[in-house]
Amino acid sequence: MKKIFSFILVLTLSLTACQKQQKQEYAGVEGDTVNGTPLPPRQEGVSFFGNNVAKQQFQPIYFAFDSFEISPPEAGKLRQIAGFMKGARNNVILAGFTDERGTPEYNRGLGERRAQAARNFLLSLGVSSARIQTVSFGQEMPADAGHNDSAWAKNRRVETGVVR
Amino acid sequence: MRVLYLLVSLLASALALFGEDAAGPVITVRKGTSIVVETKEIGGATGATASNVMKNDIQLSGALSSGDASAATIVVTGSAAGSSFSAQATEKTGGVVLQKSYSGDTRRGVHQFVDDLVETLTGQKGIALSKVAFVSDRSGHKEIYTCDYDGANVSQLTHDGAISVGPALSPDGRRLAYTGYQSGYADIYLIELASGSRNRIIKFPGTNSGAAFSPDGAHIACTLSKDGNPEIYVTGISGDSPRRLTHTRGVESSPTWSPNGSEIIYSSDEKGSPQLYRISSAGGAGRLLSTGFGYNTQPNWSPDGKRVTFNVRSGGGFQVATMDLESGVTRIAIDEGESPSWGPDSRHIIFSRTSGLYLFDTVTGKETRLVGDLGRISEPTWSH
Repeated sequence: MKKIFSFILVLTLSLTACQKQQKQEYAGVEGDTVNGTPLPPRQEGVSFFGNNVAKQQFQPIYFAFDSFEISPPEAGKLRQIAGFMKGARNNVILAGFTDERGTPEYNRGLGERRAQAARNFLLSLGVSSARIQTVSFGQEMPADAGHNDSAWAKNRRVETGVVR
Repeated sequence: MRVLYLLVSLLASALALFGEDAAGPVITVRKGTSIVVETKEIGGATGATASNVMKNDIQLSGALSSGDASAATIVVTGSAAGSSFSAQATEKTGGVVLQKSYSGDTRRGVHQFVDDLVETLTGQKGIALSKVAFVSDRSGHKEIYTCDYDGANVSQLTHDGAISVGPALSPDGRRLAYTGYQSGYADIYLIELASGSRNRIIKFPGTNSGAAFSPDGAHIACTLSKDGNPEIYVTGISGDSPRRLTHTRGVESSPTWSPNGSEIIYSSDEKGSPQLYRISSAGGAGRLLSTGFGYNTQPNWSPDGKRVTFNVRSGGGFQVATMDLESGVTRIAIDEGESPSWGPDSRHIIFSRTSGLYLFDTVTGKETRLVGDLGRISEPTWSH
């Protein structure tokens, strides 16, 4: 029952988010149907590598091969992050990564798209867009340096850096 | 005049092929036919270097090939003094085809002479003076390196100690743009190669990557995610006034310009897997280029506008494909290779493999390793 309720809640929130986005839809270009929520300006002196960013607080969000869909088990991790953010004032940096089975520039795009998918999910749960930055490292900095299925599965991820 | 010479030389080769029995001017020019050049020993202080570079340039040009007196239709003589190089190309029959002097470095002088010779004999641009940039992890970090088209003069350009990737050379070879992570984010940097001065020109929130210079060198196409999704944008040369070209839910990457700058081909996975699309650089809707493959990335448009080379993936590895844009026919050119980039002659492709940097001749299928033993090489780019 609780599950159904939270599902409806998410659905309602997503619909609200969709309606919001429709209002700011880009106009004037043929074939345009999509406009996301712009990222806020970067925070001075803060990056994913900074000492003031905690990277181990949350579990990585994992993805299927060549996909940026948030699967149901991974969505739970994002709900945890959203819950934390509602009770705290910290901003986060979402860093997207891919496995090595792709060409480098496409992987940088795919990593960014994964970070943006995680971001969109947090926005749909009511987190303010002003509190989230994204970055993609593509296939760089693998979590597992191996060249097999289990390594690749660990490398297709979004890590959450919490700005202290 | 050039056409006349070409006709004469083709006739001469045809006569040589068919012997004295050849009846009438029946000329069959096979694709891949090259003009045979004999290089006489070059004199002067740096003559030995000049001879080696000359023979290698001739061989790599594809349009020419080295041969001895019996096969050659052109004879090259020259003199290399260290700070100057002069050479002369004559027909077997004695007529002078090209006679020129070049000041400066011997290697550069020879490259210039061979490009001039190729252009005089075939009307096509040569590749010998062009430059290549690529990524190597030899230092322990991914950094940008440059070298000559033949793999000589390898030099480490960046010393960022972060992740420096995705280099692009401006068409005139004077500037290089790349994606650097020194800030902790992916930003686009621009280096003036002569002075070495560097500017971080694109640093919007999110990921800024995949810079490609427009043919006139005045604009940069790239992928930006500042508006909430990785999309293709066109900016000024300083990263100013970004204009958004694509509007999808997917990942857009690797823009490449048509020779007149009016169109851009890029890769997008908006329909699930990455496919190639063609769009006006003024905006509008992207048009799918069907290749018959499920994974198509890293497109690079040939300077003559006729073909695009790109990566396809099958069987776990990457192949290099080329598509003829008029007929739409796609074929696999290289069985294993990444990040293909056309040379100024629209005939050769430079690509990377784990084991190094390679030059590939799309007419003969000949492959030459240019750089090896330099860590893992990736993402080569070639000046036009």
